[in-house]
Amino acid sequence: MLTSDLIKPRLRIQGSSLLVEMVNEQNPALQQIARDIIALFHQHKGQTWAAWEEALHAYEGASLDYILIRGLAKVLADAATFTPIPTLLPPTTLRERVFAHGPVFSKPDMFHRKTREDVLQVVARESGLTPPELDEMLFADRHATYLLTDTGPDWTPSGLLARYNLELARGALYWASHITIEVSSNYKDLWKYIKLFKLMFWAEPKPEGGYRIDLDGPISPFVTSTLRYGRQLAAFLPALLLCEHWQMFASVFPPQGQGEKLYHLDHTSMLQSHFKNSGLFDSRLEADFAAEFEEKFGNTRGHWRMLRESDVLLLGDTVMVPDFLLVDTQDERRRILIELVGFWHPNYLRRKVEKVRAANCSHLLLLVYDGLKITAEAFEGVSSEVIFFKQKPVLKEVMETVEAMAERIYGPRQKPEPAPKTTKQKKPRKRKIVDISEHIQQRPDKKLRKVAEAPARYGDTE
Amino acid sequence: MNASVYFQGGTLVLHQSQDIDNINAKDGTDDTWEVPAPFQFIKGRWRCEAYHYPSVREWMRQRDIRNNVARWQQLKLELHDSRELHDYQVKALTAWKEADGRGSIVLPTGAGKTLVATHAIQHVNASTVVLVPTMSLLYQWYALLTNAFQTEIGVYYGGEKRVLPLTVTTYHSAGDLIAGYGNTFKLFICDEVHHLPARTWGEAALMSPAPYRLGLTATYPEEYEQVGSRWRLDELIGPIVYRQGLETLVGKQLAEYRTQRMRVELNAEERAEYEAAHEIYMGYVRERNLPKKHGPGWLRELMRLSTKDARARRAWLARRQMLTLLESCQGKFTALEALLREHSGERILIFTESNAVAYKIAQQHLVPVISHETGMAERKHILDAFQAGNYSVIVTSKVLNEGVDVPEAKVAIVLGGGASKREYLQRLGRILRKKEPLQALLVELIVRNSIEEGKAQRRHATREKS
Repeated sequence: MLTSDLIKPRLRIQGSSLLVEMVNEQNPALQQIARDIIALFHQHKGQTWAAWEEALHAYEGASLDYILIRGLAKVLADAATFTPIPTLLPPTTLRERVFAHGPVFSKPDMFHRKTREDVLQVVARESGLTPPELDEMLFADRHATYLLTDTGPDWTPSGLLARYNLELARGALYWASHITIEVSSNYKDLWKYIKLFKLMFWAEPKPEGGYRIDLDGPISPFVTSTLRYGRQLAAFLPALLLCEHWQMFASVFPPQGQGEKLYHLDHTSMLQSHFKNSGLFDSRLEADFAAEFEEKFGNTRGHWRMLRESDVLLLGDTVMVPDFLLVDTQDERRRILIELVGFWHPNYLRRKVEKVRAANCSHLLLLVYDGLKITAEAFEGVSSEVIFFKQKPVLKEVMETVEAMAERIYGPRQKPEPAPKTTKQKKPRKRKIVDISEHIQQRPDKKLRKVAEAPARYGDTE
Repeated sequence: MNASVYFQGGTLVLHQSQDIDNINAKDGTDDTWEVPAPFQFIKGRWRCEAYHYPSVREWMRQRDIRNNVARWQQLKLELHDSRELHDYQVKALTAWKEADGRGSIVLPTGAGKTLVATHAIQHVNASTVVLVPTMSLLYQWYALLTNAFQTEIGVYYGGEKRVLPLTVTTYHSAGDLIAGYGNTFKLFICDEVHHLPARTWGEAALMSPAPYRLGLTATYPEEYEQVGSRWRLDELIGPIVYRQGLETLVGKQLAEYRTQRMRVELNAEERAEYEAAHEIYMGYVRERNLPKKHGPGWLRELMRLSTKDARARRAWLARRQMLTLLESCQGKFTALEALLREHSGERILIFTESNAVAYKIAQQHLVPVISHETGMAERKHILDAFQAGNYSVIVTSKVLNEGVDVPEAKVAIVLGGGASKREYLQRLGRILRKKEPLQALLVELIVRNSIEEGKAQRRHATREKS
């Protein structure tokens, strides 16, 4: 990420809003600068950091574009690798040996009979080096002497400018106290990164679907407008860009002063994420289960449609996102959630049972691996259905249970009637805080789920 | 009902694992339960800042609430320091203990505050974190604690993050450390505690549950100085438990010193380059009449203009070029060599403005260098070896600036320095802080007929006035 001195000059204040002055990625003049810097960088492959810095400095000259130039260079350097030259002995050891003889001078005197050359000669010999090698290795642990060994991705001029713009948007968040985001699809990775950057969130379903999520950190409620989490919010931003539809409102306190400003971004911005979308399934078990379902019951072979991680159960300060949602294609009110409880650590399982209890959710079906030494007792009194399996869930049995559950909860199936659209929209439940930071240790990347258009419902189904 | 309180990122959170249906999700109230202030119901849970820990501990005990906060360790530290405490140090320590191990001790610079602190650590004998304002102090505490307790000391700052039962951190990094590890430290020490109420730095004290707290400073902020601050020191650390003024201690410890300015010449080539740069710089300044229009802050104005005006930018760069030239001109290196020969065998500190010059001197004369890049172990090695007399010279760029004990340096040579009075006095103070009354010498190298002459004058003027 860029240093704040490279961000600050790009911030503009307009009334109560904060704007970030981005660059036009298609501007030929700027592309030329980007092209020059990329070329310069590549020319310095195998050379030292100091040499690269010096060349960049020379290129910059008295140009007024120095903020851009340094910013592009920072993006390049951050994505590249500089490595120290290998030394047999650690440079600190070499220095100790050499400095034991200092101070020395080029010409000897009464008190300094050894010259610099003499000392280098002596120490080089005892260290198995030549004097010039010793001279070079003396400070080989300084970053300035590191060699550019890998120039990183193949940047195009416009690609570099685009990434620079993203870094500017991130930079504005260095001074953010909290952000509110609105998202309405594809959050799987969002959850992952919220957890990864140890942010706290407060999610609220929106009537029209999707969620409004406030992001800040634990101390935020007690320290008005703390900027403690600015770096984490900035690091998080690219994750938001992975969503299709999103908005962000950030409360920013720009370093120029003038108090709190609003920084707004949404999916119409041209910003591109460099984070990767993660895969669809978290485990082999889930993938196989989904594949088998598609094969046997998919398309027109049954009346259930399978959705992946698309309903969220908001549970106090935690969240549960069952792996699958089955929706009756002829009556979308009929929904059964399925959660696969595979081979996990006992602690994870204990929490899982606690969650299932808290969810108190009768349209949830649990498929539990039998080898977990979890007895049926553990699930006693749970509103959800439980099926134990040995190697993999038996799909036939699962679907029979699903049918039985649906009939019990929603009544007998009827001939399809075109349901009025409004019935799909449920009243949002009470505001709930979802603090997923607690779950990071449990399953690093398991509980990152997709939230459905329909708001969560639980405990009210009977 | 099963309840516990745990530590989360600098807060205490009450976890109730009873049937959540009994709790009103809006305000968290529950008929069978009363949660005391300072807890507030926020984001679905009862929460408060971690520094309230000592005050809610009793309630937790009464209600049989599981304590998942305290994760600190009792240690078996032994103090390997034979220095006897002075009377005032004993009094300070006693006062702090009597105040239940909470509060600040105010002693003048050089009066041995850190020695009091090591005894406080020994007294609590549990995992401790020390907060300091500068990197140099971080290294100093690292060395001090390593020697005092003969054990490995953790450090946590931008360059290195290793958390151990005794850990030193900077105010800058303390927030992150405390957010992650706050509940592993029972004793929370703030050196130069007057820095703590600063806007973000105070958060660390707020986020720590440590029941024992010790603040150290020579300059405790006055009441009126705390008015605009976010936090009050006595809230964060506790009251002043002991205070001893300067007048009773000064006298014996300060050695005599003299300063000496040495003027050097630029060679013909350097002079030409200097004059050319000077012309670009001053030409612009004169033309825009900056000093007259903008008063003493005109340099800031030039800096501001240099971000958007091509000529101002050239003027700004010319100024930088001049400063670089003045610091690294041949005459200074020649004079430095002469001084090193002249004071051969004496302990010498060389101060440079830039890293580049510091490393150049180190390479040229094969003397140890301390910069912000120097690892902690190596810095300790260098300072120890300097003290032991194995190294007689250290070159350093800016880093040894605040309150660091460099033992018994006889000569300080300043190659280039900022005009700031504070920095100058600290450099002076360092070579003066001595155990034996030796006459110390501070040499300033100044380029004749350059802007440096004005700078040095400015320094001396402010010193005479103060």
